[in-house]
Amino acid sequence: MMNPSMDRICMSMPCKPQYVNVVRMTVSAIANQMGFNVEDMEDIKLALSEGCSNAIRHSEGSFFEVEFSMESGGLKISVMDQGKGCHENYQASPDLTNPKEEGGLGIYIIKSVMDEVSISTKPGEGTRIEMMKALEASK
Amino acid sequence: MAMDIQVYYDEEQSVSHMALRGEVDIYTSSELKAQLQRLSKDHPDKDIRIDMSQLDYIDSTGLGVLIGALKILRPNQRNIYLINPKNNVRKVLKITNLDQIFQVEGDLHDEP
Repeated sequence: MMNPSMDRICMSMPCKPQYVNVVRMTVSAIANQMGFNVEDMEDIKLALSEGCSNAIRHSEGSFFEVEFSMESGGLKISVMDQGKGCHENYQASPDLTNPKEEGGLGIYIIKSVMDEVSISTKPGEGTRIEMMKALEASK
Repeated sequence: MAMDIQVYYDEEQSVSHMALRGEVDIYTSSELKAQLQRLSKDHPDKDIRIDMSQLDYIDSTGLGVLIGALKILRPNQRNIYLINPKNNVRKVLKITNLDQIFQVEGDLHDEP
């Protein structure tokens, strides 16, 4: 296992669905190197994919950025787009007894599997999703 | 990893079968949607059994496709059965409460 050293990795990705698995493979390698267990690695891959899918589906921008911060306490990931943004009340909890085909589960899934999540978005100013998975609990 | 879908209709058992392999995400879910729509429209009065034993990953995009297919079958009191999902797939089904909407079969896997 490596010694977390506050390293940062940044990726700039086209808003195209075929590249989400590239981001997923990248975070899998980073999380493995940091010493996360298999279940936590799956959680991180899922949450990040949801963040990327959110940017591709809703930003209407041409690219988005992903930043990985390998901190002593865990892995912090930011997904940022410069797209149309949205009103912050979109984060309302989905009705799990009557799921919708068109989505609404993505943010809910991110919040369910990550330890800390924050979302900032405003119309016309893009969206930033920050998520963190603690490393200590994974050992 | 890409996704592979095998589909066949069992005339004898009157059940539609699908086997998923690989990863279902925002890129691959359109193919899953096309195959499921075809199955559910060709045989709207039959259950669909999906073998998930070789499915490594699914996210909300793929789950939305499954929900859409179920809404086609439900008026005929038919259902979608998810067979032997891996633990990570089972977990996302549980988080989203979809393990109460779909029929999930198979035991938890022993994984390292």
